[in-house]
Amino acid sequence: MNKLLNIAQAGHRQFVREYAFKSDLKIKWMRPEKIACYKPEKSGDLAKLPPLKADELLPEYRDCKELDKADESVKSLFKLSNNASYLTTKFYRDEMVKEVQRHAQDFGSMEAKLAKMTAVIRRYQEHMDKHPRDKMIKVRLKELIDKRKKFLKYLRRWDYPRFEWILEKLDLVYKPPPTHFHWITRKESLQKLTDIYCENLKEERLEAYHKQLQAQQIPFLEEAIKKMQFVRQEQISCDVPVTVTEEKIADSKRQLEMLKELQQAEAAASSKKQNEDGFN
Amino acid sequence: MSRRGLLLMGQCMPCIKQNASKIRIRRMELDKNLNMYFKKDEFYFAHDPQKVCKTGDVVLIRELPERLTRLITHNVEKVVYPLGDITDPLTGKKVVVGNYREDIEMANQLFGKSEKAFDYEKAPPRGRLEGTKDFTHGETYIKYHEDGKDQPFAV
Repeated sequence: MNKLLNIAQAGHRQFVREYAFKSDLKIKWMRPEKIACYKPEKSGDLAKLPPLKADELLPEYRDCKELDKADESVKSLFKLSNNASYLTTKFYRDEMVKEVQRHAQDFGSMEAKLAKMTAVIRRYQEHMDKHPRDKMIKVRLKELIDKRKKFLKYLRRWDYPRFEWILEKLDLVYKPPPTHFHWITRKESLQKLTDIYCENLKEERLEAYHKQLQAQQIPFLEEAIKKMQFVRQEQISCDVPVTVTEEKIADSKRQLEMLKELQQAEAAASSKKQNEDGFN
Repeated sequence: MSRRGLLLMGQCMPCIKQNASKIRIRRMELDKNLNMYFKKDEFYFAHDPQKVCKTGDVVLIRELPERLTRLITHNVEKVVYPLGDITDPLTGKKVVVGNYREDIEMANQLFGKSEKAFDYEKAPPRGRLEGTKDFTHGETYIKYHEDGKDQPFAV
């Protein structure tokens, strides 16, 4: 039967089958946790809205002189926290637009639109944390996130420096959508992981073989130099046309010196690293 | 052989290679059954050690006399149209979609430009947020495995 495994690290459940798939593969697949598309981790918002000041008044009554000498109970009626939530959303929206707009009357430019959307998205995300079954707000939130993503794509195409500036100002992350959508299945995921495993294995073995061949270089060159010298001596003493020239031997010696220097440098670097590790 | 040495114009696509950029060359191919032309894409890897191409740039590439690796056959000759930083070839002015930047700037000045507004002169060159907030330089994929590591290109 299926067993319910509660993995402490992941914190979410995963079914483990005991039939039809028994294997001692080294590759273990862990299904990734599904994150709702309206969460900040998916929408690309890195920051939250700053908390509202307790004595923040409605924008229309901010400079009212009557409220300065009014009673506390009257003042509390004009506080933003004691009024409808959409007024707070409007307040946040206006504050965020002020951060990026081109001039005081600029509400239609691309950066102003993005700021408006970002403020509303963050407000709705807070709302969804408290009321996860609010379908109307969820639909609006999803639509706004998709719209903002589209606008960011356009802004990048039209005006790349401003695009980067807006990402910094609004603290957003932009990741383009994948080229094709697919559901996550065990078979495909294991195929991918197996491909990655095989690729890594191949690289490891090639690296080991490379090291092996490198280790053989110096003895080989020494032997070659000896043999070339011997052959040259034999050719000279037997009065046969000389094919092994002095330059060849000199070249090989120079190469040997270079390889030895390289090896010493690598050894020094590795010993230095070991010393540092020892100190730590 | 007649195509050797040709300059090709294409668009840069996301690529994770360190020294090369992936360039898409788009041509129209005739379908003889329908007697219509359809897009036909070819992809080349062009040697680009400084990574001057950003995703979406229109670039010129030239075939190398000898390929660098099994895949890298071309060299980036010139970035013709850097994405998001277009210069009008007739007037030499910078444009944003259908407007000149200086016209936009003039309008802002008339309205009274805000101190927090974006300024082209002060802005650093493109590509400074790659890898931190801007992940358009690589291909994204749908996350399929939970291995505890950070996967920035997973969505």
